[in-house]
Amino acid sequence: MATHILETGGNVCPFPLIEAREAISQIPVGDDLVINFDCTQATTAIPAWAAEAGHDVTDFRKVGKASWSITVRKSA
Amino acid sequence: MALTGLLVGLIFGFALQRGRFCVTTAFRDMWQTKRSSYFTAFIAIIAIQAVGVAVLDATGVVHLTHKALPWLAVAVGSLIFGVAMVLAAGCATGTWYRAGEGLVGSWIALVLYGASAAAMKYGPLAPLNDGLRSVTAPATTIPATFHISPWIVVAVLVIVAGYLVYRELTRPRRTVATLPPTRTGLAHLLFEKPWHPLATALIISAVAIVAYPLSFASGRQAGLGITTPSANLANWFATGDSTRIDWGVWLVLGILFGSSIAALASGEFRVRVPDAGTAIRSAIGGIGLGIGASLAGGCTIGNSMVETAQLAWQGWLAFGFTFLGVGLAVRYLQPRAARSVPHTLTSAPAAPEPARVPVSA
Repeated sequence: MATHILETGGNVCPFPLIEAREAISQIPVGDDLVINFDCTQATTAIPAWAAEAGHDVTDFRKVGKASWSITVRKSA
Repeated sequence: MALTGLLVGLIFGFALQRGRFCVTTAFRDMWQTKRSSYFTAFIAIIAIQAVGVAVLDATGVVHLTHKALPWLAVAVGSLIFGVAMVLAAGCATGTWYRAGEGLVGSWIALVLYGASAAAMKYGPLAPLNDGLRSVTAPATTIPATFHISPWIVVAVLVIVAGYLVYRELTRPRRTVATLPPTRTGLAHLLFEKPWHPLATALIISAVAIVAYPLSFASGRQAGLGITTPSANLANWFATGDSTRIDWGVWLVLGILFGSSIAALASGEFRVRVPDAGTAIRSAIGGIGLGIGASLAGGCTIGNSMVETAQLAWQGWLAFGFTFLGVGLAVRYLQPRAARSVPHTLTSAPAAPEPARVPVSA
């Protein structure tokens, strides 16, 4: 199981989510995708997408002023 | 009296920021992810406000009049506005509140939106604006056209919104990850907890309803509005004509300050500089917002959320064309933009399994 890190800092919504969907399609099932983002709306959009798509969120935290990191484990 | 606009704007801006309430997201989600939570919240605001407006009108607190429908300008302007709000990553109101979060792309869009709206209303583009807006149809409101009581239309709206809200609340709910709380009590509720879109909708509905009597009392006979106030602010900057500073100007300034206060208090304010591609889209989007909203006589708030609640054809026509514009931009412009947005994906190899040391009994 490997970890993949997606940096989307500076990108406004909906791009962090679009990039996350693109990135998760490129990684093997069971791997972790860490998405770093700074668009406020993505704090609801990305977890909602993960829940909808059935990927587990293994970590979600605020790493600084208007900076967040969420880790999504790809499910089959 | 105009200062009540500042107070209403502060609450509005605060609720928009904390509720992550973005009309662009609400409309875009319907085309892109089929997530309808924010769209349902938007329809709920129209319905609740429609009840409020009907009561205010029936009790004589306010009296709203509507001119003949400038259908061509409303359709063309709203379509331009819909495309522009995707490019600018926010509608007019969204741009005001995002500017308050420190997004430099929204600062660019905001300045050009105010300037282009002023050019259309008071400046060199006024002949174009007036020309297109002179093409009218003899239609004002839905009840006037069909010679029915406004209460019938309000009832239909409430039933539709009620059904959508019911569907939203009874949808099978998957557990959505939330950030670990670091505060408690009121501070957690105000500055940390994610607000349910329908809770935000209730606050915005209250804001939209109280806006009428307060604005009327100041001499400005309208509900919430963003574009004319933004153009008036730009006009005042250029001319110093202080009669331009009315209730609406205080309202938009309040949105900016209210959003800033919310963002600062929740640790979500940071000056964020966009890449070149985003900056260009923000600039083009900002100009499109100003031109589109001026032609249409309103934005997603003034038309799609307020004129609709007044049961005016202008609001519903604008709503439809703005929604279509968003769809066109999502389909044709966004994929190109997505490819140019800088991002990196790096993969770290899996950590080696710790060596197993056999333990003898």
